[in-house]
This record gives sequence, structure tokens and C-alpha cells, in this order.
Amino acid sequence: MPNFMKASLTRISWMTRLTFLEAIRQRFFAFLILLSAALVLSSVSLRFLDFGHGELKFVCDFGFGGMFLFGSVLAVVMSAQLFFTEMDNRTALTLLAKPVSRTEFLVGKFMGVWLVLGVFIFTLSTLLGIILWARCQELTVAAIEVGKAPPELSITGLFSYTGMQWARLGVVAAMILMVASLARTFLFTVIVGSMLVVAGQLQWLAQETLLKPGDLNFFSKLLLSVSTYIIPNLQQFNIGDALTLDHGSVADGAVTLALFSGSCYIVVFLFIGSLMFRRREI
Amino acid sequence: MNTGPAIAVKGLTKDFRIGLRGLKLRAVDNVSFEIPRGQVFGLLGPNGCGKSTTLKIILGLVSPTAGEVSILGFPFATSSARSRTGFLPEAPYFHKFLTGRELVAYCARLSGLKSESVNPAVEEALALTAMTEAGDRTIGTYSKGMLQRIGLAQAIVHDPELVILDEPTAGVDPVGSAAIGQMIKAMKAKGKTIVLCSHLLGQVEQVCDRIAIMDRGKLVLEGRVDDVLTRRDQSIITVENLTPEARRAAEEVLAQHGARVTSFTHPRRSLDDLFRELVTGSRDA
Repeated sequence: MPNFMKASLTRISWMTRLTFLEAIRQRFFAFLILLSAALVLSSVSLRFLDFGHGELKFVCDFGFGGMFLFGSVLAVVMSAQLFFTEMDNRTALTLLAKPVSRTEFLVGKFMGVWLVLGVFIFTLSTLLGIILWARCQELTVAAIEVGKAPPELSITGLFSYTGMQWARLGVVAAMILMVASLARTFLFTVIVGSMLVVAGQLQWLAQETLLKPGDLNFFSKLLLSVSTYIIPNLQQFNIGDALTLDHGSVADGAVTLALFSGSCYIVVFLFIGSLMFRRREI
Repeated sequence: MNTGPAIAVKGLTKDFRIGLRGLKLRAVDNVSFEIPRGQVFGLLGPNGCGKSTTLKIILGLVSPTAGEVSILGFPFATSSARSRTGFLPEAPYFHKFLTGRELVAYCARLSGLKSESVNPAVEEALALTAMTEAGDRTIGTYSKGMLQRIGLAQAIVHDPELVILDEPTAGVDPVGSAAIGQMIKAMKAKGKTIVLCSHLLGQVEQVCDRIAIMDRGKLVLEGRVDDVLTRRDQSIITVENLTPEARRAAEEVLAQHGARVTSFTHPRRSLDDLFRELVTGSRDA
């Protein structure tokens, strides 16, 4: 590896460490992880509300819901907060006066936030995995006793889903940092970023509308086509049920495709963000 | 080895656009100066005169509207220029959860020091800034003077050729100020070029070789401290045990040679000196 690249990676790794340490100490992170853990644990007591679906599916939905919702909130707020804390407290002034490029600064911030999101999502996933495994053992014994087929549970599938959620949160964090590099305030970043996340969750609607034979005019088609490229389809990462409880129903290559598309969006968002951040006056 | 000036600024202009109509505010107006290597250079001026903007442009944190800047022979804002420069910002703020030693080590790594040379460099920087003992305390517990000193330590840890200090004594008591003055002198003795931006004119006068004064974005004066402050047409003689008769006789002799006594006062020590003399030893550490 060339020396300049090695030096750049060292700087990014140090920026990542500092961002991670700062993020992990935040009360907001502790609050959200405790709230999400409480939600996942409460799914066991609330399983009688399963509306006729399987118990494991109910617990899964509850857990995935918590990971999805609070993970998204954490990704939006923490990315924006860690970026603006550096700007408002002027610590960025000290860092960027060193041989740290703006791209390295932004990538370091992203990696730090993404690591924290990883801690969040894998902690919850482990907790959910333990609950699901314990319930599955009980349900299997009960099913065998009455001569029914035991429930299906794939812990590997659960962790594949966790990896996909981590990738989804990475896309969200990169998107927020791109907005933050242009925005002047934390509030603006959070509002615009949240709107983009909602648009990303609903992006599949634009894809479906385009695929349906209909009488869309040229401009509507153009608008929908452009939006399907600009806004990432965040819904493609939400295949937790299929991966965990019914592994066979996942289309071949769906996970790989989602991870590849997520990686591409992360790179593009960080690239645009660093271009805009280079012009920013500190 | 490059022997050109440490900093060369030519025709530097910076306009800020303000408001929705994009009105221009000229913060720096066609400023040119050169700072020779190994000297302490004072950049002075009232608040809002463009000093900090000039420093930020030199450091590549703000882009100029027009003009050229080179640092140690390298174009400004390049990695080569930055790795040879140390910077202490005005009212520095650092991550409070780090200890002083961790912060300085972290800055050393960001400045490109190799892992094996980080620890000796950190200890040397902490020793120079008298922060060795407080190095393991978290930054959140530091006083203002200690913050400035740890800020100085992070600026010099990678042994830069050029050190830029923006208001290093702001909010620091006279004892701490004097200590920072001593550190500047020590850095100069090691051959560093130092740019000092300060409102403490007495200290600037003591430590700087050259000064530049800015007002409303323009450079109004630049030169060697001795040249700009010394009044060559007047002299001061300090004598002890001067009686009225001796004074009259001296004045007569001076008058015979065409000289005239324009003032007669007793020397005073500065309040700064008196304060430091009385409170030395109470400095925070």
C-alpha cells in the first residue's frame, strides 16, 4: 500500500476512534438502547397479542420494529449531532488545521457513527436472538407433544438481517452527513434527513408505479425515475421475517443485492458530502 | 533545504457574502506581508479587523477571494504545509472526556507521527508546556490557563517549523500569560517561526521580532518591533542618587550641546511585573 494511503487510513482510523468514543458516551445513545432493549424484552410478555400469527413472528416483528425505528432515530440524530458538535464547539478548527483532509474528516465521522450503530443493532439483535431461541425451545417441545411440526427459526438468518439493518443505518448515516455538510443548523439537518429517510422507506412505491402499465405523463415518469436513482430504497433491507422464520422465501441474491446497493449509496453520499464540505468555511 | 520566508502573503483579499441579497463584506483587503523563518511575528489589531480570517486563510480553513499564500515554500492548505504547522485556536475547546495526554497523543497521530515516536513527543510537549503532572486528568477538569497550555502542547507535539497562536493568553491570568510568553521564547530558541495574534501589547512587544497591525481589513503597519517603536530623535538616561544641583548642572551641559530635557520622571515597574512578583508560585498546575 502506498505511504500516502497508509497515512490517510491512519488519520481516518483516529477520527473514527474519537467519534466512536464521543458517541458511545452520549446519554441519548444509552437512553435509546435501553428503550429498545425494554421493547424487545416486553415482546415476551405481550405475545398473547399475536393476532393469530405465530408467536415467534410476533416477537420478531416487535424486535425488528424496535431496531428499525430507534435505529433510524439514532442514525439521524447522532450523525447530525456529532457533526454539528464539532462545528459549533470549534473542535473541527483544531482538527482541520492538521494534515487531515475534509474527506478524511467526514469519512472518520461516518465510520465512528456507523460503529456505534453497529453496537446498537448487534446488542439488540443478540438480545432478540436469545429470546427467540428460548421461546423456540419451549414451542418445539409443546409442538412435539401435540404432534405438530416444530416452528422454524434461523439464528443465522437473524444475524443476516442484522447485517442488513446495519447497512441500512449506514446508508441513513451517510445521507445525513451529506445533508449536514451543506446545512448550517442541526435542526435543518434532522428535519431534511428525516424526510429523506421516510422517502427512502416509501421509494418502492415509486418503483412499483413505474413498473405498472398506466397512463403516467412524461414528467411524472421522469420524476419517478429520477427519484428511484437518487433516493435509496430502504425497504429492500427489511426482509427480517423471511430471513429468520422462513429462510426459503428469500429470493436468491436479495441480500447481496441489497448490501451492494447500500455500499454504493454510502460511497456516493460520502463523496457528494465531501465535495460540499470542502467548500464550507470553518 | 527551502530558505524562503516561513509565510508569504501576497494581495490577500477575502469577501464574505451576507444576507439573502449576497451583500459583500470585505474582511481582508489586499494584504501582503512576509514572515522570515525563525522569528516571532505579532499580528495585531482591534476585534473584527481581519486577523483571525487571515490566520484561517493561511491554515486553509477559509478560502481567499483573491491573493496568494505560501507556507514554508508550499502552497497553503496542502498536506505538506499543514504537517509543518501547529495551530492553537482562540479560546480552544477540546473533547472533554479525553485526558490531556490522550488529546496530545491523538493530535500527534493525526499530524502524522509514527507510533514509536508518539510517546516521547507527547512527553516532550507536555514538559515544555508544564502539563506533565496534569496530563492524566480529563480536559473537563482543566482551568482556562491549563486549556491554553494543553492547546499549545497539541500544537507543537509534531515538532512543526511554524506555530500559529491565536490569542494564546486570552482569559489567562498574568502568571499564566508570562509562562506562555516563556514558552514562546523557548520555541523561538529551538528555531521555530511563531505567529502570535494577541491583544496583550506588552507581551507582544517583549517576545516579537516583527509586528503587523491590521485595521478594517487592511495592513496599516509592518516592520521590526525595534524599528517601529524606537524614537531615534529622543534618548533616556537612568541615573541613581540624582540631586537637584546635579540635575541642574546636567541640564546646563545638555543645553550647551543643543539638547533639551523634555521630561523628568522616576522609572516605574509595570503592574504586570509587580503582580507576577507577588503571586508567583500560585499558578495552577
